[in-house]
Amino acid sequence: MAATQLGATFPAERGVEEGILDFIRQALSKDCFDAVLIPVKVPAGDSFAYLLIQDESLLKDAHPLAPIMPVQGAKAISSITRYGKGSRRIAAVMRPCEVRATIELLKLGQVDLENIFLVSFDCPGALPLDDWFKDQKKAEDTFQELLKQWDSQGVRPVCRTCDQSSATGAEDLHIGILEAKDNSILLIPRSPKGQSILEQLGLSLTEDISGWKDKVDRLTTERRQIRGQAQKELEANVGGLDNLLDTFSLCINCHNCMRACPICYCRQCLFDSDKLKFAFDDYLMRAEKQGALRFPPETLLFHIGRMMHMTLSCVSCGACEDACPMSIPVAQVFSLVADRNQEEFDYVSGRSREEPLPLRVYKGEEFEEVEYDYSGTSAREETGDA
Amino acid sequence: MPKALKLDKSAEEGVRELLRFLLENGKVKGVFTLSKLNEKGAVAYSLIANPETLGNAVPLFPLMPTNAGKMLSLPTPKESATEPIAAVVRPCELRAFVELVKRSQGSMENLLLISPTCGGVYPLKMAPDGGIAEKQPQYWEAVAKGDIAPDIRPACKTCVHFVPYTADITVDLIGSKNTDKECRLLLNTEKARQFTDGFAGEISEAGAESAELSQLRSKREAEREKLFGETQIEGMKGLIDIFGRCIGCHGCSKVCPICYCTLCYFESTDSEYKVATYDAELKRKGGLRVPPGTMFYHLGRLIHIATSCVGCGLCSDVCPVDIPVSTIFQKVSQPAQELFGYLAGRDVEEPMPLRTFETEEFAYVEQ
Repeated sequence: MAATQLGATFPAERGVEEGILDFIRQALSKDCFDAVLIPVKVPAGDSFAYLLIQDESLLKDAHPLAPIMPVQGAKAISSITRYGKGSRRIAAVMRPCEVRATIELLKLGQVDLENIFLVSFDCPGALPLDDWFKDQKKAEDTFQELLKQWDSQGVRPVCRTCDQSSATGAEDLHIGILEAKDNSILLIPRSPKGQSILEQLGLSLTEDISGWKDKVDRLTTERRQIRGQAQKELEANVGGLDNLLDTFSLCINCHNCMRACPICYCRQCLFDSDKLKFAFDDYLMRAEKQGALRFPPETLLFHIGRMMHMTLSCVSCGACEDACPMSIPVAQVFSLVADRNQEEFDYVSGRSREEPLPLRVYKGEEFEEVEYDYSGTSAREETGDA
Repeated sequence: MPKALKLDKSAEEGVRELLRFLLENGKVKGVFTLSKLNEKGAVAYSLIANPETLGNAVPLFPLMPTNAGKMLSLPTPKESATEPIAAVVRPCELRAFVELVKRSQGSMENLLLISPTCGGVYPLKMAPDGGIAEKQPQYWEAVAKGDIAPDIRPACKTCVHFVPYTADITVDLIGSKNTDKECRLLLNTEKARQFTDGFAGEISEAGAESAELSQLRSKREAEREKLFGETQIEGMKGLIDIFGRCIGCHGCSKVCPICYCTLCYFESTDSEYKVATYDAELKRKGGLRVPPGTMFYHLGRLIHIATSCVGCGLCSDVCPVDIPVSTIFQKVSQPAQELFGYLAGRDVEEPMPLRTFETEEFAYVEQ
């Protein structure tokens, strides 16, 4: 976490969510940015969607603290900036995992953040989409309780084990609501861009945030422990090929997980392409060899392939699991693999904008190693430089 | 009048026996049928080449993990099967396959098509906890009586095309009182008679349609009217209300047997907003849903597939936010197909409405 120990308080007499919205209204009116990307209740009132808002009056239906995450925010930013930054400066208000996914997409060349202000907040977790659509009233109550207790009751499994739910590094501005006291929220600048917004609003950085920070640290430590324990238990159930086959046996190949994933940005996934359509004889040959061939084949290959492709950037946001119609614990499995893989490269997805993607860089000695093997012993002997 | 073949085995055992006979006698090289993968409730279509693996086959298990029509099109998009294969699929899956064949995405050649009179299937969501196994007695009782089995998917409760149109062999289930100890197979085609030649069983005339069958048809018809009546969507506002919760996973298109495009238009660059589009739309509306095009996607898909939609229900089944996609699509598809005197998948020779024209239509345009 950056060294900033000071923040600004902002009034939130009508509750945390209204406080955040008031801050946005003020910032919009003071021209800190031109538009805001924020979750808004859909017209039917039964879900939330990201809305890019320029007309301030549309903020009346906005819910920065939406109980569910129907679309991963990074996907929304990518949709807006994939072809360039555009003329408007946009503040995007989203969960820390959405910010982290956005940073990964930045490294993958799928977003342009020049005109984007990333605003995150202490995230209480999101409820499973299933629970929300089963009983919306109950889910609303659960979420309100969650905002009071911060006890992970009823949130999705990946949220229960999330150890990066507050200010995880690469946002411009973070909103502290974990220790919301005296009817106010904390505005914590995390970059010069974020700082400039507060300056423009005439907010002075005088509030000592160490109390908030302590609480975040405590929660993080606690969650890290829970995460470790949960992953240990999960590994016992999914480790090894047989377990993995069993875990994904229910998969019906709808690829919802891939489509909901913010990191899976490929326009055409290899696993949806003609590359994986074979001639009849090939299928029959495989069926004969194994006795039977499951259709569609390559179900596990899809998951393992996707795992290889994206786990170094996986932010454990849980969108995949939310979208799975078969209740496969996709996010939990991917999260487990992601932690191990990222650890291997001393990398944390979305932590910093500068940290290079592991597979996009090499160190000098790695190159030498490759060169050595490539040249081969006999070749070196011949040229006498062995 | 087709011949009926009776076996003193349960319906499922009988079908399995037939598949075994076909495989063991080299009449087919493989059988395509639902198989049980494990005890976790995982059931998937499999191409079985070894009779020993047939033990896992559950050809009549009331679940549709994928649309078999789509699966059959996977190996046969350009060329037909080079060896004979027997496939046990549901009537709607068979109809989907027929539509795909018309769209040059599959070939009927070398396929022996077996299909039951279908009692419907349970929602996919019921598969993981093994709940379907418990429901089996209730299911088969409803099938025997010609009732709508409780808890089956809305698409199935309202399906009136539960008798296969183009199967070589029909597994007679609806109205059959003793499916637990008797299997009745109707041999509809010459091909069916050839393939079953030498297969033990008592042959008789198939007889007329059972009372239960027509009774179920009226019950489903009534249910259909009721469901369509309940699903009222008025204008753009109605559409926004019902599709507003869509998360854009496009799972409905991915599982749809008719949506065969490798790259959907709605996933292509053409469908994306460029910087200028965003700027202009934001200026015009003041606010803009991101990613954009939710309604455009559903309406576009609806227009693309309506005349071929078979109402298999998978789109609803995989929707993570419970949008009744299938009901909406069927409500539009049924009158759209009727308008052309067409029924998707009824007959492989029946030309697709938008692929053909009548001479007078041409004259009309020329004027």
